[in-house]
This record gives sequence, C-alpha cells and structure tokens, in this order.
Amino acid sequence: MIQIQDLTFRYREGEEPVVEDITLDIPDGAFVGITGAAGSGKSTLTYAMNGIIPHCYPGDFYGSVTVGSLDTCETSLTDISQLVGSVCQDIDSQIVTSIVEDEVLYGLENFGVPHDQIEARVTEALDAMGILDLKDRVISSLSGGQKQKVAIASVLALRPKVLVLDEPTAELDPASSRAVFELLAHYAEEHGTTVVVVEQKIALLSEFADMLVIVDQGRIKFADEPRRVLAHSEELLALGVNCPRSTTLMNRLANVGLYAGPVCCDVQEASNALLEVIA
Amino acid sequence: MIEFRDVKASYDKDIQVLDGVSFTIQDGEFVAFVGTNGAGKSTTMRLMNGLLKPDAGQVLLDGVPTTELKTSQVAKRVGFLFQNPDSQICSGTVREELMFGFKALGESGPEVEARVDGVIREFGFNPDDDPFLLNRGTRQLLALASIVVLAPPVIILDEPTTGLDYKECKKVMDIISRLHEAGTTIVMVCHDMEVVADFAKRVIVMTAGRVVDDGPTFEVLRNPQTLTRASLIPPQVVDISIALPLMDERLAASPVAFANTLDEMQAAVVEEVGE
Repeated sequence: MIQIQDLTFRYREGEEPVVEDITLDIPDGAFVGITGAAGSGKSTLTYAMNGIIPHCYPGDFYGSVTVGSLDTCETSLTDISQLVGSVCQDIDSQIVTSIVEDEVLYGLENFGVPHDQIEARVTEALDAMGILDLKDRVISSLSGGQKQKVAIASVLALRPKVLVLDEPTAELDPASSRAVFELLAHYAEEHGTTVVVVEQKIALLSEFADMLVIVDQGRIKFADEPRRVLAHSEELLALGVNCPRSTTLMNRLANVGLYAGPVCCDVQEASNALLEVIA
Repeated sequence: MIEFRDVKASYDKDIQVLDGVSFTIQDGEFVAFVGTNGAGKSTTMRLMNGLLKPDAGQVLLDGVPTTELKTSQVAKRVGFLFQNPDSQICSGTVREELMFGFKALGESGPEVEARVDGVIREFGFNPDDDPFLLNRGTRQLLALASIVVLAPPVIILDEPTTGLDYKECKKVMDIISRLHEAGTTIVMVCHDMEVVADFAKRVIVMTAGRVVDDGPTFEVLRNPQTLTRASLIPPQVVDISIALPLMDERLAASPVAFANTLDEMQAAVVEEVGE
C-alpha cells in the first residue's frame, strides 16, 4: 500500500536531512508501529506518507513515496487526503470547530458525503471511540484525552484506506490507549485499512503491530515483526527505546539461563512462559 | 501540608468535575494521582495551586484556605508543571525563561543570578537558546527547570512524561526523584503506570470526580476492585504477578505472586525454580 524508495528529505530551513535513505514497503492492510527517540525523524516519515511533505513543508525531497497508486509528489494534497486520514501529534492544530459533532461533520461535508449518510457516519465514529455522550459538548471544555478521541473519530468517519496517526494516545489513560489500539486493529481488519502509528508506548506497539519500525537519526534501524525487533533489547535501549517490562523480564531470565523460548511481546506471553519456567 | 476537605468544583453549572474530594498530603510525600481521562485529576491539581477555587468545601495549604491566599503566596509555596510545556514557556531565551518567575515575584540580585546559573548547569542548557526552537523533551525540561529554580516546597506535575521518549522521560524523572529525596513534596498526575510504580510512594485513584482509593503504591495497584472500578491497567510486572496465581493456584503463596518490580520478579522466579 505504501512504498517508500530511497527517501531523503531536508527541510528548507534545516542544515541536515531529517530522514535519509529510507526504503520501506508497507503491505496493504498492515498495522505498522513506528517508534524512536525524540527528533529521530518519526513524524517527518509520516509526513511523507500523508503528503504533508513536500506539499506543506518545502525542502529538498529525494526518492519517491507511493500510496496506493499515487505518487505523493505528483498528487495534490486534496487527492491524497481522500486516501490517507491523518491524526496530528498536536491535536489543537487539527481541531477547527467548537462543538464535537461539528468537528466530525466538518470532514464529511468537505468530502461531499451525501447528507442522508452523514448523521449515521457521525454517530458510528463517535460510538466507535466511546464518546457518543460528548456529541454536544464544547471542545474547549474537554480534557486532552477526550479531544484526542474526537480527532480520531473525525478521521475514522471519513473511512480512509490508510490511517496515519502521530502519537494518538499521548494524552490518553492506559485503558483508553488500549481501547484505541483495539479499535484501530478491529477497524483495520474489518475495512482492510492500512494503519501507521507513531507511538512511544512500545508495549502497545509490540502487542498490536505486525511490523515495528525503529527510527534513529533519520534512518531506519529495524523494520520487522515486533518479536524480532525486541530481541535486540540492548541495542534498542542505546537508541532510546525501552522494551516492554514483560519482554525485559523474560530477556533477563534468558540471560541467566532460566528461559530459552521466543522473545515475549506482552503480559500474556510472559505469563505463559513463566508458568513453563516455574513448572 | 495540603488538605482537601469535601471539595466540589465545576467549569460550568451542568458539569460537576469534582464531587466531594477529600485527602491530606503531608510534607515530603511523593503522591501520584491516577484515573481515567476526565476523572478530575487535572482539576484537582489546579485547585491545589490556587488556579481554581472550589465551589464548595476547602483547599488548605499549611492550614490556610487558598481562597484567603494571594496568587503570589501560593506560587511561592507550590510550583506547577503544566501538561503541555508550551502553556508555560513565554520568554525569548532559556535564561529569560528561568528568570521569569523571579521577576513575577519581584525578586532579583546576585543570589537569583547564581540560582539561575546553577540550574542552567544542572540541566545542561544553553542560556541563549530560543525555547520555542527546542524539541518537546527539552521544552519540558525547561518548564520543569523554571519551577525548580524557584525552589518551592511543593511541586505539582501534570503528566510530566507525556510525549517524551525513554531517555527524556528518565532524565525528567531522575530530576524529580532527586528533588523528592531533598525534601520537596511531589504531587504528580501520571498515566504511565510503570513511572508511577517506579517513583510514587502513594497513589490516589480518582473516578468521575471522586477519590476511590488512596494508599501505598503497590497496595493500590494490586487491588482488584480499584483496578476494575477505575479502569486501571497495572504495571506489567504486577500484572504478571496477579495473573500467575490465577493461571495456577499452586502459585498463590509463591513469591512470584507478590513481586512488584523486575528485580523482585527475577529473584522470585530464581527462588521458585531453585526450590
């Protein structure tokens, strides 16, 4: 669904490229997690996928990015946004109306969705995010986490083929964060949507993503199944990426010769593995 | 000492954000507030530093209601780190940002200069940098530094690690930990249960504007009623420790069923296997 070939991008005001020699192939329907230290180029990589670069931020763009059949450099942002729905890191920069319902309506009306479908689409999206009760609320009175859910609902209502989300759970409580990932995974499976999530919560990425991408200083260090990536826990720590505690626990037990099984990605896997170790 | 006595608060008449909240925080404590989005945690923090006044009940700082204190009196006693550093930073250089609090309090002189220089060294800042050109993690550190430089006896942190990577998170929490060890009272709202488990000594759980549990960190984070009622997900080691006896009841008395940290769990497994 997304092919990035030899991508290098330098912002016009920057001295060095922010992403460099990136090649990444994201299959149709994949759930991809991107993580890495602050300033490593994660957000810029997503900007390449949703066309924000080069269309909104000028700079030197080398290589190519194709989403579906669209070359992002040769396609207008309007056309790309019909295919790719984005949730920004800074939610306030994305929200344009003052009432929750209006915010979800806004994109649907702009995309020319028939009026007789709009109400159902709004209700479906708000319900999916568990915020139907906030429908008539003034957005400025919502907590950061509630606003984040409104932003995601607004994008889901558009039913894009690709979802690109930059730290969509940054302000959410743990249960809501998990609920968002469960919803995204369920939504992606049901609609065949490709999901790309930038996230610091490695435990959630490890559990839900098919592919984990680690970015460091503008380059991809790892792009593989989470289990294969988490096997490099020491290298990851040096890159500023901490493994989930369940992974670290079992890696530690492996280091002292008590565990010889596969790398554990979540609590359930670690609990099952521990039962065998103790038995 | 901070005391909430049956505090009620709302942003407009229809939405009651706090509905009878009571607790006492003693000097030198490290307390984490946890709970779902919209539970009233941030509102509690704003009441604690006088940004908001209660609709009913009392918020007392060292026995004095915040309604009787001037903003400057509260500010000297309680430092507040906002969730978003950009809500706090307002100066053109790092040094000016660190001087801002002193100017607001009408303080200046060699002692102030020395304290600012000391914090610049401690945090490793370039004093001439433009704060708005720093990355998010460094802006968060600057916002924290602008509070630390004023040396308030109480520091309130609203989601201090949100949006930070592992190294930035560790740096922020190491500084907060050092402040606590030096006697500063730390009150923190935090969604990251691993951070709560690593640093807080006491946890207060809020749901729908009420306190539903309050106690030592791991007693609260292992309480099944609390976890369910407040939709909390415990730290992963605690989660594993709770899961194991449910998967094999013979482990109910094993040390693995009581381990709270990575070190404790590793030692418990070694002990169990050794036996």
